[in-house]
Amino acid sequence: MIALWIILGVLVLLILWAIGIYNGLITLKRRIENAWSQIDVQLKRRYDLIPNLVNSVKGYMKFEQDTLTKVVEARAKAVSATSIPDKIQAEGVLTQALRGLLAVVEAYPDLKATQEVTSLMEELKNTENLISFSRQFYNDNVMSFNTRISIFPSNILANMFNFKTQPFFEIADATERQTPKVDLTA
Amino acid sequence: MAVIQFYEEERRNVRKSYLLVFLFTLMMGGFGLLIDYLFSTGPWFTLVFLGIALIQVLIGVFSGPSLVLASTGAKPVDIRNPEHKQLENIVNELSVATGLRPTPKVYYIPSDPTINAFATGLKKDKAFVCVTEGLMHNLSREETQGVLAHELSHVHNQDMLYMTLLSAIVGAVVIIQIFAFRGGLQALAFSGGSRNKDSGCGYAAVFLLAVGLAATVFAFLGRLILLAVSRQREYLADAHAVEITRNPNGLSSALRKIALVPVRSKAANIATASLFMADPLKRAVNERSGFWANLFSTHPPLYIRIARLEAKSPDQVIRELSAGEAQPPNPGT
Repeated sequence: MIALWIILGVLVLLILWAIGIYNGLITLKRRIENAWSQIDVQLKRRYDLIPNLVNSVKGYMKFEQDTLTKVVEARAKAVSATSIPDKIQAEGVLTQALRGLLAVVEAYPDLKATQEVTSLMEELKNTENLISFSRQFYNDNVMSFNTRISIFPSNILANMFNFKTQPFFEIADATERQTPKVDLTA
Repeated sequence: MAVIQFYEEERRNVRKSYLLVFLFTLMMGGFGLLIDYLFSTGPWFTLVFLGIALIQVLIGVFSGPSLVLASTGAKPVDIRNPEHKQLENIVNELSVATGLRPTPKVYYIPSDPTINAFATGLKKDKAFVCVTEGLMHNLSREETQGVLAHELSHVHNQDMLYMTLLSAIVGAVVIIQIFAFRGGLQALAFSGGSRNKDSGCGYAAVFLLAVGLAATVFAFLGRLILLAVSRQREYLADAHAVEITRNPNGLSSALRKIALVPVRSKAANIATASLFMADPLKRAVNERSGFWANLFSTHPPLYIRIARLEAKSPDQVIRELSAGEAQPPNPGT
């Protein structure tokens, strides 16, 4: 009789444990989805910002038409990209082009002094940071989810309910992998 | 990777904080039990103490953030001002990085030339971050990001709630101390005329004075624990800031600038000083690292925080800081 109760108790504990693990996994999964939608929001923000930016610096940058065309073209490609790998690749190119533009603007003191341009540049920096932070947040969440479903004992449950490892938001362009050098002396 | 070390640091800090809260609770329990055991008053004293603590907590929860903002003279930022807009942008970025939503409201302290910041708000979704005007003028975008990441990690880790709870408990003990001493002295005055030691008043006087004495001891210990937790939280927020920004340079460079500012903030006072990211009152005790200084300071010494961020020895940071025209912080004994 006592043995029966013990078995029953262990069973109840096991079920409670499984529910806990399962709910934890679902929470992590939702968090990943949410983080992914954040990236999307930030990317759209960047598309909207670019035309304004290009218009306001166009007049000043007669000699840098090449940089501007690159940005415009990269944006068009990124907007039209449909598959996720294409999208990631196009975004990488766009990021590169925008960094080039930022560097050029830094080199034009009178351009930098314009109120309109400085505020647009701040918006651009803001957007770039928002994108990289939302990507970082997404990847962090993916990491904790992937870790959780591959370590014992939660991997048993993850296999039972068919939880799959989630892909990281990898940086497509090799040049983007380089950490930008930051000068703190200024 | 440095990031891994910071995760380690964070875990250690969290563990220590839990330990401190555990010890505090144990102490409070011991206090109540001691009185109930000595005077066989049943659970009544413990209940009264808990009631006082509850009232303290409620007052803290309902008036805390607005009170702090008002006392420092903080104002909401005006996003038409580019400097303010940048500040707001950085807070938005970091909120995305930590998954914090909604974004904390951004305030600033006008005409405060010192470099400092604090966060307040007991709930994640009703938080405020506030910086001094001097911070906006003197720090680069990267440095500001480091400082705000530190503040946002306070918000994210619910430090404000934790600290408010702890100070409410300490405040409760102080209330008990005051009442017990007053009651005890009054009872003493009543029983003073009679020589009879067994009179009710004499007994009550001894009892209340004993409670007052015990409360004094516990209030003192509680205060020390509060300070210890406050310092631990600063280290933890530094570590977390690096985890958020993946960049220790911004914060450490900001801390260096803070270390070099010689003036005190006029916006802060003793009550609000521990909220700030570095001691706004520049009290000497906070820059020493001896045993007693460690016990009584609200903030960890800046040079040790910088040393941890830059993975250098504290002595080296002191040398570098004094080379940069700073008053060399006293290394203590």
